[in-house]
Amino acid sequence: MLKNVFKIFSRDLKIARRDSMALVIMIMPVLLAVGLVFFVPGLNDTTVNIALLDSDTSEHVAYLDQFAKIEVFGGENELMDRVAKRDDVAAIIPDGNGYEIILQGNEPEMVENYAKALNALYEIGATKEETTAAMYSFGHTVSPVKTMLVNMLISMIIMLSGMLIAISIVGEKSDNTINAVNVTPASQTAFVLGKSMMGGLIALLSIIASLIITGYYDINWFMIILVGLSSMLLSLIVGFVQGLASDDVIEAAANVKMIIIPIAGSIAGYELLADKWQWTMYWSPFYWAYKANMLVLSKTADWPTVLLCTGMVLVLSLAVYFFSRPKIREGLS
Amino acid sequence: MISVKNLSHSYSNDDKLAVKNISFEIEKGETFGFLGPSGAGKSTTQGVLTGLLKQQDGEVIVAGYDVKKVQNERFNKIGVSFEQSNVYSKLTAKENLDYYAKLFDVPTRDSVELLRLVGLDGKENDMAGEFSKGMKHRLTFARSMLNNPEIWFLDEPTTGLDPAIAATIKDIIKEHAAEGVTSFLTTHNMYIADELCDRVAFIIDGVIKLIDTPKNLKLQYGQKLIDIEYTDNGKIVKETLKTVTEADRRRIGEIVNNHDIQTMHSKEATLEEIFIQVTGRELV
Ligand SMILES: Nc1ncnc2c1ncn2[C@@H]1O[C@H](COP(=O)(O)OP(=O)(O)OP(=O)(O)O)[C@@H](O)[C@H]1O
Ligand SMILES: [Mg+2]
Repeated sequence: MLKNVFKIFSRDLKIARRDSMALVIMIMPVLLAVGLVFFVPGLNDTTVNIALLDSDTSEHVAYLDQFAKIEVFGGENELMDRVAKRDDVAAIIPDGNGYEIILQGNEPEMVENYAKALNALYEIGATKEETTAAMYSFGHTVSPVKTMLVNMLISMIIMLSGMLIAISIVGEKSDNTINAVNVTPASQTAFVLGKSMMGGLIALLSIIASLIITGYYDINWFMIILVGLSSMLLSLIVGFVQGLASDDVIEAAANVKMIIIPIAGSIAGYELLADKWQWTMYWSPFYWAYKANMLVLSKTADWPTVLLCTGMVLVLSLAVYFFSRPKIREGLS
Repeated sequence: MISVKNLSHSYSNDDKLAVKNISFEIEKGETFGFLGPSGAGKSTTQGVLTGLLKQQDGEVIVAGYDVKKVQNERFNKIGVSFEQSNVYSKLTAKENLDYYAKLFDVPTRDSVELLRLVGLDGKENDMAGEFSKGMKHRLTFARSMLNNPEIWFLDEPTTGLDPAIAATIKDIIKEHAAEGVTSFLTTHNMYIADELCDRVAFIIDGVIKLIDTPKNLKLQYGQKLIDIEYTDNGKIVKETLKTVTEADRRRIGEIVNNHDIQTMHSKEATLEEIFIQVTGRELV
């Protein structure tokens, strides 16, 4: 069984490498990732440096250290010298009961806002879990806009994995080869798994390549892979169904492309809806995948949340699978 | 090796039957011909026997396996050559065979040797998508031999091939028969059936009209004929006479005694003529 899954997988891979459309699909995400790096510059450059005094409470230092790059100075003079340097540093020093923020004046507004917001969060005693993901990523080395774009790229790669399946199925249909495989000891399950492995593995490699190209090295890779694989499931199902329903590659690609609507809807819902309306997106596995990726990319994910999101993705995808399974089985026999 | 009892099949799952209540048995090592005109239900029967079409009715046992149950390992013993060639157009001839070979759990034959056998030597590394129809058909045929099948399903193995290659394919089938391979051969070519098959079934409109050996059929239905050419008053006269009817036999004697015989041939009725006689239909 496993042997046959692998044989079917490697054959599909060989054919995909010889198919111009499949090739474009495999290369496109990498090109987009490179484009993201070159044409959206400055997105990487959002580290906020904060200067503190060593007379400050260790609690304050530790809190801020979670969200920004902290430098601690022995005296106010040294601290002021640091703030006066060319790069962007905000100093936060105790002032009576509260804190005072000192800036050189040439920093972007973002730095000032960030320092203010961060300190306000400390003063109201907000914990890491209560602050928003965007806030975290804002403070860490990555900008939320970039994370959003990269997350969208991942969603697109997920969609492409389904397209690869559909192209492969349409190819089998036009060559009439499904019958030939059906009279070998290889089971239909092996056939489906082998094909899924082709679409899934290519997409997974694309995701990893895109993340490396855009500079996300130190994220939790296990989480990314887990979320990636589970969110691919639905795309693969759509690929099988549409591949079996379509007569040529163009038609199949066009049909698979339609899942961009729920994907885009889920992203828009996540990004734009107020918290109290987020539940309206809970039906969409793409929503959960996008949300999980957002947390992982901004390095604010914890396992319980990621597992919850993955679980939701799987449950919703499996529901679609059981709904479309008779169709797939019939189409393959 | 193959046992079919009361098999019917409907593509529309209703009473519009493509195959109607057919029954037959095929012994081990036998080459069984399934003969009939286009649309008779030959491919449909092969489809059910190979498990590609869902068995709806009746009982089908192939190589000891009940076809109704999904037991993929039975395909280790079975080879299937399709009526319409089906090979991966984006793989080379050799890749097509090598990939397919790996799906079996039994020892398989060398792909290059098989390609040579069907006259595709020199084309090993050409993309199957660039092959002609006949070449694809031969590749499909070669593929059906990969796993040294005990039971071999051959749907129109020589249709559309030039006579020389068709003869090669016939020889290959004969060799396999000599080695004890059981074959289910579908064709509407009576000469091939006559030459290759131990027994034949005539099928029309989904119904088997008769099953017998070609030899018995000829004895039973075919009348031996004699073509005689002789000179009569300086003119050459030709007559065709039956060897079984009393009047014709007397006429033959008369001619032989009184005339100068130019040529005299005996000929057998062809399977095709018998088919027309039995079913009242042409084999088109
Ligand atoms: N996929 C299908 N769907 C519906 N009807 C079909 C299908 N395939 C065949 N039929 C019908 O079933 C009947 C038998 O067809 P079948 O293909 O078995 O004939 P055949 O004897 O193999 O003919 P040929 O010599 O042309 O290959 C025909 O009436 C045909 O129209
Ligand atoms: Mg046929």
